Formats: sequence, structure tokens, C-alpha cells
Amino acid sequence: MSEQQAYEPKVVAFLCKWCSSAGSDLAGVSRIQYPANATPITIPCTGAMSPMYILSAFNKGADGVLVSGCHIGDCHYIEGNYLARRKMHLTMELLKFIGVEPDRFRMSWVSAAEGAKFAQVVTDFINDLEPLGPQDKLKKVVSS
Amino acid sequence: MEKILDKKQIDGWIAALTDWEIHAPVLEDGIWAYQPVSGTVRLDHPNTKQSPKEFAFPQREIFFSFEQIKGEAPRLTQVLPKTPHYAVFGVRPCDGRGVPRMDKVFTDHVEDPYYNARRKNVAYVGLACNKPPSPNCFCLSVGGSPVSTDGLDVQLTDMGDRYFVKAVTETGKTMMAAASSLFAEPSAADKKQLKQIHADAVAYPQRKINDPDGAPAKLEASFDSPLWEEMARACIGCGICTFLCPTCHCFDINDEVQNKAPLKGQRVRTWDNCQFPDFTMHSSGHNPRENTAARLRQRVNHKFQYFHKNFGMHQCTGCGRCVSECPVGIDIVTVVNKVTENAG
Amino acid sequence: MINIQDIRDTARDMLAKGEVRAVIGYRRGTRGMLAEPAFITSPEQADDLVWDPTCFHNLSLYLVEDRKFLAHLNKSSDAPIAVIAKGCDARSIVVLLQEHYFKREDVYIIGVSCEGTGVVDERKLASHLNGFQASNAVFDGDDFVFTTAQGEKRLPAREVMADRCLECRNPFPKENNVVFGEDKTGRELEAPFAALARFEAQGTGERWDFWSHHFDRCIRCFACRSVCPMCYCDECVVDSITFPVTPATTAEEKANRIRWIDRSATRSENITYLMTRAMHLAGRCTDCGECERACPVNVPIRLLNNKMEREAREKFGFEPGASIGGPSLVASFLDSDPGDFIR
Repeated sequence: MSEQQAYEPKVVAFLCKWCSSAGSDLAGVSRIQYPANATPITIPCTGAMSPMYILSAFNKGADGVLVSGCHIGDCHYIEGNYLARRKMHLTMELLKFIGVEPDRFRMSWVSAAEGAKFAQVVTDFINDLEPLGPQDKLKKVVSS
Repeated sequence: MEKILDKKQIDGWIAALTDWEIHAPVLEDGIWAYQPVSGTVRLDHPNTKQSPKEFAFPQREIFFSFEQIKGEAPRLTQVLPKTPHYAVFGVRPCDGRGVPRMDKVFTDHVEDPYYNARRKNVAYVGLACNKPPSPNCFCLSVGGSPVSTDGLDVQLTDMGDRYFVKAVTETGKTMMAAASSLFAEPSAADKKQLKQIHADAVAYPQRKINDPDGAPAKLEASFDSPLWEEMARACIGCGICTFLCPTCHCFDINDEVQNKAPLKGQRVRTWDNCQFPDFTMHSSGHNPRENTAARLRQRVNHKFQYFHKNFGMHQCTGCGRCVSECPVGIDIVTVVNKVTENAG
Repeated sequence: MINIQDIRDTARDMLAKGEVRAVIGYRRGTRGMLAEPAFITSPEQADDLVWDPTCFHNLSLYLVEDRKFLAHLNKSSDAPIAVIAKGCDARSIVVLLQEHYFKREDVYIIGVSCEGTGVVDERKLASHLNGFQASNAVFDGDDFVFTTAQGEKRLPAREVMADRCLECRNPFPKENNVVFGEDKTGRELEAPFAALARFEAQGTGERWDFWSHHFDRCIRCFACRSVCPMCYCDECVVDSITFPVTPATTAEEKANRIRWIDRSATRSENITYLMTRAMHLAGRCTDCGECERACPVNVPIRLLNNKMEREAREKFGFEPGASIGGPSLVASFLDSDPGDFIR
């Protein structure tokens, strides 16, 4: 009989291939310890992020969604992250608008050399998600 | 069984129906919809936005659940609905007539265990229409009437400060017996007033389908008429007409997966809509009803020809919802009249 | 006030001279109060045209339908098609032109100004009539006068006008070939985004209570999508129906095709649909209000689109349908775009 199971937030992290995904690899290779709660999904560029991916992640039960890409000015495709900055801002505002806790969606710029930053971003995200508890607003429940 | 119930006593009757969950039309978010009520029932609504078909035929029905347990064959568990006894108050005669039409499909024609499990637990307490609740009512044109009891268990007629209450089925009698002390015997004057109210109701002008009896044959003859394209020109394929209709019942069946590994989910029936562009889409990409004209023609024919041929009655009950709620004014009364007028 | 005869004369004239192949306008419906879309192809039909507070439809939707119809037949039009457009509708046409859906010379815009008034909001009217319907509506300069089964009901126009009309900053169709009525731009009967501000006064908890209640009620009839001129995708992302199938497509591929949402009209699926739609309309929606009007269960969808519109305006200085050569909101950026939210 347990008091309360330690809640482990499930995070889906969309990482751009050229910067953030490489940055996460560097964190691994550098043996930096950080929470293992984030499932990484590599995308070619944050500019390719569709709001549907975020909504779908929440629909499938993600407790938090992270989108991370190259710093402004460093995008491999020149403009992708500028477009992402706009689109993700709109998505974030819409989620807040319907009452989803603002802390559940996060965006960061992490370069291929910033392994430590990546680990920090994920650690901070998990810490901020823990008090919010499991995400049950957008999650699909197939029940009788 | 015919009785009089003073309007002030309706709360007492509701309270006595302890075996029933009472639903009645409630105005919320700007629309009238059936909702569970307690304490009292107001019956001053026109008609509800959605029909009461959901009580026996919900938007989503779970057929069975499936689960893959490691090392075993997948487990399928039928999920038959277990619903309380619903007493639905305020059902208009057109919606009442919709019930036997749904029964024809899900009970008489094929025995659908899900529909029937729900159906046997619903009682419909109708409210006669002293005046048409909508400017688009046309029940008289399709064999109905504002005072019809078809499909109902009890019929109420508003007589000002009291209701004339008529039991239509054994269930209706049981419901009235639950609070028998609240019901009084109708006097001769009461019966005379009822007769007058009903006569006035039937005489009240409504929209009119000019040739309802000739419609099946004339619709058949008009399959290739260019009129369909003209009449469907404004149609946007939204599906409101079908979803709101008391007798439309097409459905889709899908597996909804909660978890892929281990596999866990449910097979679910949901409402489908012949006005959606993909309703008749084949997996090859071919669509036999690929424009709004074909889909409008399909719906009108289903209501006024095909159902008539199969079951000897029009499927449409004249509630007028599709007419009132169509965002672009497609009017089934105008459509049927135009087609029958021009039939070769 | 606009004289409908002027509009009829213009339509008749253009059809008689063959300058346009059809005029899309409004005519009296057969089912009560509302006007309905009319497709006039001959001069005599021009007398059917009407202009009154029930002309809410955004007729630019039919420009999209027309274009799809021509594309399906592999034809191009020999003459432009004329369409009657209010301020909001004209801006929808501009968005369609920005997106190169058709060319400017394909459409002849007959602009009508809403002047000091707008269209009736059936919801507001229903609250005055206890949910019963009216069979006729006229505007007499100050009030709307409705005919009901219980007799005539006169209501001040401001009380039954749609929110979007009260908040409208552009009741005059700036993009037009000809226009009727006075330019009352800036009339602001109510502050822009007033309905949105009222909603946003609530906290997170209340917002969720509000939206979860409405998301539960949605029946997924897709009327909001069907009635929107901007929702012109042949295959909507939430339907995934026209999955291209060739003789080489395997059963497994068919079974595993992407399905973003289930068919059930349950809360989670409805949220994904409605939010996706709001995102896809960001910077494109011109607040014609048709989505909310068409919704049979009164989900306040307009608020979602309005939120995106205000974000676009305040954070990115963007106005949908402002000018034909203008950029798209999500395919452009400024160095000054806010980025503080990014860690």
C-alpha cells in the first residue's frame, strides 16, 4: 500500500536535427545526468513544426511538450526558426487561452554545442511539470 | 387511461417517478436541449435543437473492448449499455413518430442489441402542439399530426392551467399510476376543450408538401433531373440536417485504440453523415456521390422514396429542423415540391 | 441607406452585357426570416436580389466552390463571376487572392457597406423570443422589426446585432469593383475584440471550465469548417480520407494511415479538431462569423479565431485581408517578433 506513487511527467521533445538534437547527443556523450522523461523526436527544423504535432502529443497523453531549435540567426535553413518563433507563439497563446497550464508547453534555442544547456532545459521543465500533475485536459481517454 | 393533471402538480408527479431519470428540454447556451432535471419540468419550449434519438441511438456507442494480455489470445468483451430508465418529457409528436421509424431499422428489420438495450429503458412523455412550434413544421404533410401519439408512452395536451394526460402504452399507465392521487378524472367540459384544442391544432396552417403520396414515384422518375444541381447549389455539405434529424441513423464503425502495445481499445459506432463528401468514398478514391447534388438527392430520396418502399411510410416526420437549421436555406419542403411538380 | 434597386440594376446590366457569367448574391429564402445565397445567371433573375440584416452568409465561399468546380472539369472561366460582398466578405476575398486561389480579374466584387448597422445574431434574437423563431426581419434605420407567430417584435438594432458587427472596424469593403452605401469605417459601435476581452477577464480555471463544457457539446458536424471560405483543403487534415491508393498499396499501409483524431465526438478529439482549425486560420480569418452562426449547438468558436486575430494584430502588427499583395501571417516574420518566451 503506497502513499503516493512518485509522478513522472512524460515529455515529448521535438528537436531540430541540426542544433538541438545534436545538442542532446552532446549531453549524452558528455555523460551529463539529467531526467530521462523526455522522448525525443527529431524534425528537420523547428520551422517544420506543425501545431498539430503539439496537439497530438497532448492528445496521446504527454504531460509536457518541448520544442527546441537553433538560435535565431543560426538556422540551417536560414529562416525556419523565425517562422517557428511566430507559429509556436500562436500555439502557446491558444493553449493558454483554453485554460491549459502555460508551463506545459515550452520552447528553447539549444545549439549543437550546448549539451549542458539541453540537460538544464529538460531538468527545469520536469521540475516545473511535477507540481502540475498528469495532463488530463487534452488527453484522449477511450473508456466505457 | 385519460386524466387531468393540474400544472402545479407536475412537480409531484416527477417526484413520484423515483424509478426514472427525468429528462426535459432546458434552454442553455441559447439552445433547447434535453437535460436531466429534478424538481420541476418546464414545458414551454418550441422544439429541441437536437432530436431525442440520442436516448436509444447515441452519437457514440461502444460495441466491445479489446485487450491483448501477454501470452494470451486477445480478449474481446462485449459492452452492452446499461442505462437507467429515462423518462423524456416534452417530446413533440414529430419526434414521437420518429421513434417507431428508428425502431423499424434497429428492432424490426435487424435486432440491434445495443439500440434495444437502450430503447427498452426509455419512455417518451409527449407534448401535443397546440400551435406549430416552428415556422417550418409540416407534420401533417407526411402522415403525422400535431396531436399524434405514435411512438409516445404518454401524451400531454396543454389546456391552460392543466394538462390533459393520456396514457398510450402500458408503460405510460405505470408512470401515471406512480402518482395516481395527483390525477383527476376529466369532466365532460375537459373532454370538449381537448377536442377543440386538438381540432384547432390540426387546422392551424403549416408548411405543405403538395403531393406526398405521389412523391415516391415522382422522385424515382426524377433521378436524373437537372433540378438537383440547382437546388443543391448553395449546399455546403455541413451535415447539420442529418445530425439533427429524428430519423437519420447512418453510422460508421471504427476501432479506437487507447494503447498500441499492449493493444487496448474499443470498437465504436459513431453517427455518420451522407452529406459528408467522404460518406461514399471508396478506397480506390472513386466517389459515386461526388457532389452536393447527388448527396442532396440521396437524402431526399431516402426520406421520401426508399424508406417508403421498404416500410410503407415516409421516413420524414415533418419536424422542420433541417429546414430551420440549414445555414444556407436548403428547404426540403421546397425541394420535394419542386421535384414532384416537374416530374416527367 | 442602400437602395436594393441599384444593386439589382447593376447585376441585371452586367449579365445582359455578358460582362460576368453569374452574380452570387442574396435572395429571400422559403423557410422564414433568413436570406439565402442566390446564383443569378440571367438578367431577369436580378430582381430576386435582396439586402437586409439577414444577409449573413459569406458568399466568397461560393467563389471557392466555383473554382473547385472549374478545376474538376479542367476548365477555365471565360468571364469573371460577380459576388456581393460586405466588408468582412471582401477581406475574405483578399485573403483568397493573397493565397492565389484565383486571379483578381476572375472576380467582380459588388461591395455593399453595412453603414451603421450589421447582421442579426440569431442567438441574441432567440434569447428575446425564448427560443422561438421569427419569420421576417427588416431594418428601419434604428430598430430591427421581427415578425413572429406572437406578433411583431421591435428591438433596437444594437441589442440583436452580431458581436462581430458591433466590434467591426471595417464595415466597408475596401477591395471592390463597385460599392454601394456610405463608408462608415471607424464607427466602432463597441470596442474591437470586446467579446474576447470579456472572456479573458477569467482565470485559467474558469477558462477551462468554459471551454471543456463547450468542447464536450460539439457534435463534430463540421459545419464550421464547411461554411468557412478559408477551409478549402480538398482533404482536411483531421479526415485523412483521400489517402492515395494505388494497386501497390498494401492493407497494412491502409490500416496504418495517419489518423489524427477518432470519429467519436468526444472532448479530446473535438479539442484537437477545433484547435487545429483555429491554428490553420490564424492570420486568414476575417471574422465573417459564419462558423459560429452555423454551429447548431452554439459553440463560441469565434472566440478562438478572434484570439488568433488579436495576437496577430498586437504581437505581429498583422491584419488579415488588408491588401492583396500582403504576406501570410505564418509564412513571414519580423525581427521584432516576440521571443521572450523562448528559453
